[in-house]
Parts: sequence; C-alpha cells; structure tokens
Amino acid sequence: MASISIRDMSVSYNKGKSLVLEKMNLEVKDGEFCVFLGPSGCGKSTAMQCVAGLLHPVSGEIRFGDQVMSAVEGKKETTFVEPQERNIAMVFQEYALYPNMTVRENMSFALKTQKVPREQIDAKVNEMAKLLEIEDFLDRRIANLSGGQRQRVALGRAMVRNANVFLLDEPLGNLDAKLRDKVRYELKQIQKRMHVTTVYVTHDQTEAMTMADHIVLMKQGKIMQQGTPFDLYDHPNCLFVAGFLGTPEINTFPCTVREAGSGLVLEGKGFTVAVPKEMSACLKGYVGSQVILGIRPSDFTLASEGSENAFTGEIDGVEPLGDAFLIHVHVDGQMMIFKYTGDKAPQGTKITMAPNLKKLHLFDPKTEKRINA
Amino acid sequence: MSEMAINRQPQKRHPRWALHLLHVVYYLVMIAFIVFYMLPFWGTLTTSLKGASEVMTSNPVAWPEQVTFEGYIDAFESLSIPLVNSVIITIGGSLGSLFLGSVCAYALSKYKFACSNLFFILLVAATYLPYQAILIPLLQTINMLGLYDNVLGLILVHSVFGMPMCTVMMRGYYADVPDALIHQAMIDGNGPWQIYARIVLPNTKIATITVFVFQCTSIWNEMLFALVLGGYDAKPATIALNELAGTMAAEFNVQMAGSIILALPVLLLYIFMGKYLIRGYMAGAVTAT
Repeated sequence: MASISIRDMSVSYNKGKSLVLEKMNLEVKDGEFCVFLGPSGCGKSTAMQCVAGLLHPVSGEIRFGDQVMSAVEGKKETTFVEPQERNIAMVFQEYALYPNMTVRENMSFALKTQKVPREQIDAKVNEMAKLLEIEDFLDRRIANLSGGQRQRVALGRAMVRNANVFLLDEPLGNLDAKLRDKVRYELKQIQKRMHVTTVYVTHDQTEAMTMADHIVLMKQGKIMQQGTPFDLYDHPNCLFVAGFLGTPEINTFPCTVREAGSGLVLEGKGFTVAVPKEMSACLKGYVGSQVILGIRPSDFTLASEGSENAFTGEIDGVEPLGDAFLIHVHVDGQMMIFKYTGDKAPQGTKITMAPNLKKLHLFDPKTEKRINA
Repeated sequence: MSEMAINRQPQKRHPRWALHLLHVVYYLVMIAFIVFYMLPFWGTLTTSLKGASEVMTSNPVAWPEQVTFEGYIDAFESLSIPLVNSVIITIGGSLGSLFLGSVCAYALSKYKFACSNLFFILLVAATYLPYQAILIPLLQTINMLGLYDNVLGLILVHSVFGMPMCTVMMRGYYADVPDALIHQAMIDGNGPWQIYARIVLPNTKIATITVFVFQCTSIWNEMLFALVLGGYDAKPATIALNELAGTMAAEFNVQMAGSIILALPVLLLYIFMGKYLIRGYMAGAVTAT
C-alpha cells in the first residue's frame, strides 16, 4: 500500500497544442478512497492513466509513497516507471478480461507473471472468488459470463494482486441500475476491509458521494474543488460544484442584496429572504448588487402562506418518488424544485416553502465563486 | 443472393411470369459461367485419366474409355522430389513471413513510435513492388549468401517478400484487439513480448490461420523466384511441372496428371479453409484502400 502524491502534473495531446490536464496537485493518503469526479472530457480518466503509467505527463511529478513514478523537469522526462513496474491493479470500464482464458486464469495471470508459487496463487484466487461470490464459475470462459459476473471477475483479478494502488475506471458503468447499487456498496466494504489506496473515476455523483473519502471534482482539465463528500456538498466553492453534486440539482436564484433595518435581505423575483447574522459580514461588499442564491431542493420545508422568508409559487407538476415528492414550482417566472418528504403531495395550485436559512449558498454572479463561508 | 433480393423487395409492377423468366435468365448465365470456368479443369481431369494412346485419338473433354492411372504414376516419378521441395519451401516461407509480419503488425498497431505511420506506408508500398524489378540484385545477393540452388534461399526470399502483405493483413486484425486488453496486460506486469505471446496471439488465432493459408497458396503457386533461384536441387514443383511439358513430346496425360497433383493441395485448402481465405482477401482489400 502507498499514498499517491501528484504535483503540478499537466498532460497535453498533439505535442502541447491541447492541454487536457493543467497543473494538477493532489495527495491521496494511504488506504484512502479517492474519487475523480467530473463530466465527460474533464480529464479524470487522463489523470488516472498518468497514475497508471499509460500516459506520459508533460510536466510535474507523480509519487507512490516516496518512490518517484514519473517526473518531468523542464521539457525533459527525468523518470518514468513503466506500467508493468508500478505494481498497480486496475479495472477498466470495459473490464478488459482476457477472452482466451478462464476466470481462474484471468485472476491468476498477474501473479503468475510475478512468479508467485502455485499454491499461494490458488489460495488467493479462491479467497477472492469466495468474497465476490464467483467461486461457481471459476472454470468458465469469459464469453459465458453475464455483465455483472464479468465486472466481479475484473474486480477480483485486481484484488488478488498485492498492489500499491488500486485504480478503477468507471467500473460500474456497464451494470444495470440495481446491480450497480449493490456492487457499489460491496466494493466500498471490500476496499475498507483491505485498506487499499484507491483511485476511482466516475461521472456519477451518487457513486462519488457514497464511496469516497476524498472527492476530486474536475472540469476542463482543472480541479474545481477537492475534499470530503460533505465538504463539497455543504460548502461548494463555486456554482459548478454546487450544481454537479446532489440530485435534483441545486436551485439557483439571482437576487439583490439590500439593507433592511439592522440586517440584510436578499431580494429576488417573488421572494425576500432575511440574511442570517453570521452571513451578513461577508455580504457587506455586495449591498446593492447582485448575488446568486443557491438552495438545495431538500433544504425547503412546507410553510403556511404569508410566512416570513418564504417562497410562494404555483405548482407546475409533481413527481412521486415513493418516499418523497419532487414538486416543480413556478416562482414568479422561475422554475425550482422542492423535495417534499410528506406522505401526501400538497393539494391545490399554490404552494409556500421556507428555506433552511442555515443552508443558503451564495455565489458571486461574475466569478461564480462562493461568497459565504 | 439474387433470389433473396427479389423476395425482399417484390416489385409489384412486374407480373409473376416476368420474375420467373428473370430467374431462368439468372440461372442460365450462372450455368454458362460455371461451364466456362470448369471446362478446362474437366479436360485436365479426363485427359489425366487416359492412357497415352487414347489421349491422341479421343476428344479431350470426353470421359476416358478406359480409366488408367499410368499418367499419375509417371508424373509422380518426375515430380516427387520437387514436390518435397515445394512443401518445405511453402511451410518454411509461410511460417517465416507469418512470424515477421505478425511481429511487425503488432508493433505497428499497438505501439506509437516515431515515424510508425511512415513505416506502414512503406510496407504497403512494398506489397505493390513488381518482383521482376529487383530480380537481378536479388539473385546476386542470394548467390553471395551461398543460398542459390538451396531451399533455404527460397524460404528466406519468401519470408522477406511475404512479410509486407502479412503485416498489412495482420495489422487489421490486431487493431481489433482492444487497447484496454493491452493496457491491462501491461499493468499485470507484462512486457511487450509477453503481451504478444500471451494475449495478442492467443486471441487472434483465426487471423493467424487465415494469413498462413493465404501465404501457403501464394508460395505454393509461385514460379518466378522458383525459376530464378531454385536451380536444380531446390527446384519446386511448379518449375518441374513446366519442364514436364517441355521434355516429353505430347504426353498430355502425364502433364495433366502432374497439374492435378500440383493443384490438389491448394484445391483442398480452398475447400476446407475457404472461409479463412476469403477473410484474408477481404482484410488485404480493406486495409490497403
């Protein structure tokens, strides 16, 4: 096991013409589950391939523990450890199982290459197969397995290795929704038990939220924010992060900061919200100008008509989720979503909702950066 | 094929009898072509089974009045050593070109290196090279190596000159091996040669068979290198057959029997490995364009 540290790593294609990864800095602690999250084309897979040694960065340094895996000084690559020398295990989205081998042969392939004694290989493979519930088809060929089984074989093949680092590139992408939820939980449990340093690439924020110890949210080759899932969810540092995490997406309202009595209020179309004391300080400079207010759909509660700080609008439609309702509301020309957890959907056409004032997110409309702490 | 096409899109404007007539025409044309192509072969077969005297008197395409194998016995006597030569050269040359082409194709399809595209273009260009153009320097080189009149010389030449075509064909197949598989094998601790032997080759067996069969037929049928470099001791069967026609006056039954003996292996390959051969031609065609 080892920690991973990445310093100032950049990657470009076409001989430097298009930069796909810009000065990435990252520390993954030993045994940590780190998720690279972002929309497609954000460079998350590229970053992982650099860690694996399948791509050469054009600048920066990658280390596992205190061993340098790849280093570029100026324009010259001073160190590059080939992927076969890095002692990593990887699961590809398309699984990349060897079609000419059985499940057992697939799982023991890497260990055979390392000249591990036969009995040890068998013991390890059997142990992993038991854990992943694939013992029954150890002697089957890959072509005769279902998608879910293949996925588990791919995981098993990676886990029998005593690898420094475990790399997973959207390993759940090809599974159907139900299986994905199950495997997601299992995977996290196994990772915890084995205490392996893991890097996991996904575009699915639910996977990131549920599994990660550390999320690295990326966009267009840059890290937008990194931290624990709660850091990112509760304190998104910019509008993009706020919008990317959480379903349904966060509601955003443009509004103006005004002075009212001793405090400040946020005035938008169809609502006026009093700013809590602890947030007033950082809004001082914005009096009279615009900010963007973000409130998550689940941070509203049903309120009686005419109550303070409330949002009033017309119900546009209701989506029942079983345990909750997603209520789409028209607030003075703007659409928003309210996640209501009552037993029955509110009746009538009008609805009044009060936000949780402790969970307001304020962003600068120009820089899209977070204003409140 | 034509039948299916008609069934799928019935052209309502044409009456039924017209369609039937069309079928009749199709079949007549096909039969005409079959007769046209098969007649020489039929003539070869019938003549080869006739006695020396009957050859001169009877119609070449008529079935022999008395079937005899004396032509085959005579032909085999003069062709036996050249046939052995041919088998050695064919297998040696095919394996040689297959190996060189396969390694080349692996490198060109799975590894990026400086000028890799240029290498490939040069290789494709080499498949269009007319062999006559390099015949004299080639003969001198083989002479210098002391490989004239030696099956090893012909094996070497076929290995080298078969290599570009093998590369072009195999590259198409290897491109279909997913890169993720190669990357996975790297991560599992394998170097390029191990990946080649343990992942690429076992997963492209059909490609290997196809290219091997393809090379076998072309080397078996080859005459130019055989004539120029084969000399006397390494003379392959194609040349010996030609001499059969030259030395014995009008013993058509022997010549025809020799032709059948020589065509038989290729014919059998076509019958049993036909689908691989067609794939081979397709692979070459698609990649070259």
